[in-house]
Amino acid sequence: MAAVDPFDSALDLLRRLNPKHTSEHLNALIALAPDLTEDLLSSVDQPLAVRRCRQSGRDYLLCDYNRDGDSYRSPWSNEFDPPLQDTPASAGEEQSNAAGLPSEKVRRMEIRANEAFDLYRELYYEGGVSSVYFWNLDDGFAGVVLLKKVATPGTSSEGTWDSIHVFEAIDRARFTQEHDETDRDRAAAESDEQQIANIGKLVEDMELKMRNLLQEVYFGKAKDVVGDLRSVGSLSESARDREAQRDIIGSMKR
Amino acid sequence: MASSLATIESFVEGAPPGERHRADTDRPLRNLTDIKTLTVHEPSLVSELGPAFEKYNEEQLATVKLPGSSQQVVISSHNSLGDGRYFDVESSSSFAFDHATQSASDVQSYVLDGAQADLVKSTLKNLSTYVQEHYPNASYGVCPTENDTKVAIIIVANKYSPNNYWNGRWRSLYIFDPSSGSLEGSIKVDVHYYEDGNVRLLTNKPIASSVSSDTGAGICKEIATGEKKYQEELNRGFTSLSEGAFKSLRRQLPVTRQKIEWDRVASYRVGQDIGGGSSRR
Repeated sequence: MAAVDPFDSALDLLRRLNPKHTSEHLNALIALAPDLTEDLLSSVDQPLAVRRCRQSGRDYLLCDYNRDGDSYRSPWSNEFDPPLQDTPASAGEEQSNAAGLPSEKVRRMEIRANEAFDLYRELYYEGGVSSVYFWNLDDGFAGVVLLKKVATPGTSSEGTWDSIHVFEAIDRARFTQEHDETDRDRAAAESDEQQIANIGKLVEDMELKMRNLLQEVYFGKAKDVVGDLRSVGSLSESARDREAQRDIIGSMKR
Repeated sequence: MASSLATIESFVEGAPPGERHRADTDRPLRNLTDIKTLTVHEPSLVSELGPAFEKYNEEQLATVKLPGSSQQVVISSHNSLGDGRYFDVESSSSFAFDHATQSASDVQSYVLDGAQADLVKSTLKNLSTYVQEHYPNASYGVCPTENDTKVAIIIVANKYSPNNYWNGRWRSLYIFDPSSGSLEGSIKVDVHYYEDGNVRLLTNKPIASSVSSDTGAGICKEIATGEKKYQEELNRGFTSLSEGAFKSLRRQLPVTRQKIEWDRVASYRVGQDIGGGSSRR
């Protein structure tokens, strides 16, 4: 028998164990096979954790992309909590520094993206928490848009929505912006807005698609399967009805 | 920290329905295959899973075809004779059951007698009619339980469609107490839909009612009423889930019923600091 990759087996199990308890299953798998810790943590999405920003008092979401060691960066203040031991040097214009802070230009865009998705969150989630994190790439930048909503505790229903959207934006337009200073600034500003609008449209379309998929396909399927298991009506009656229908169709053909 | 054995036991217990859709092969639980891969360094662990398989089969109401028969019989703690043997009233037989492979062997004649025997048989007869009327494909069983003082009634329906990435199971288990006329139990529905994901519907509806006439017909009538009511409740639940709970998590569209005008949003509030803190340092 060919050796099976334990990592594949772990993912296979996670696809079939109750998704409500993914974090517990993940921790159990890591305890069982510590070698897989890194791979599993980086490939299995878990419910997003929320932290309050000490500077702004606003909530933000935690993920691997705003983490440095045990600290997380708030998108509202750009500060790490707990503060990093080595205070990062001021970030250069075009590259991230060692501590994972985006460059000044990308941070400016990150601020705008957080504003835009804060509005998006309010319009679609009517509550919840959003966070957007950007980081520099050699030829552009990448980012993650996070959204979380927990159904109001104490109401009849409980539930959580977690969205994680990761994207890369490759800068193809750089060479066209070689004009004088003012021109370049304006071109860059327009381009920032355009980029955020593009990201926004992508996220909005994807979430609409996912939401419809869940409601129509997944919930609809579960309902159909229950109907396949047990029939509310009498099976012999519906068999008789089908028989009668066939007779009618048959007599019309003649 | 849970032991490794407790961990893999929980993986057996958490296996979704339809793990073995071809009941005639002795293919073990798919979760077991994964468990074996993950415990290669400690192969002895898997050999300790016997009690976990027994618990899984009895709780999930595993079904098995007896050798030489086409009908499925149900495995539960109520029709256990101990030492891995179970009995089935309808076929008047007892058999050995292998919990790891879910196969039956060594069928022997088993004649039911005792205080509840008549009630068990009349319930079985009525239950058979009811099950045929409402379950396209289900197995069922009735047997005396709790030292022949009560009657256990079991229905289990499975429908597996692994090619379409879904499997489903309906389990009903009731205990009828002839001394008080009480009928207590639960209906559990488990649907696993896993095309490009892992979606699970798990419900557990406790049932507590009483039966006025102490007969098989009376018991089955009460069961039929309760199950119809629950299925209708469940169907309404799907609708209210879409319209209520799901909508309260995320709307399909904003209140304006229009998608966001991103070109305006992106330039909106530009130049303002967000939050309380300054973005510039």
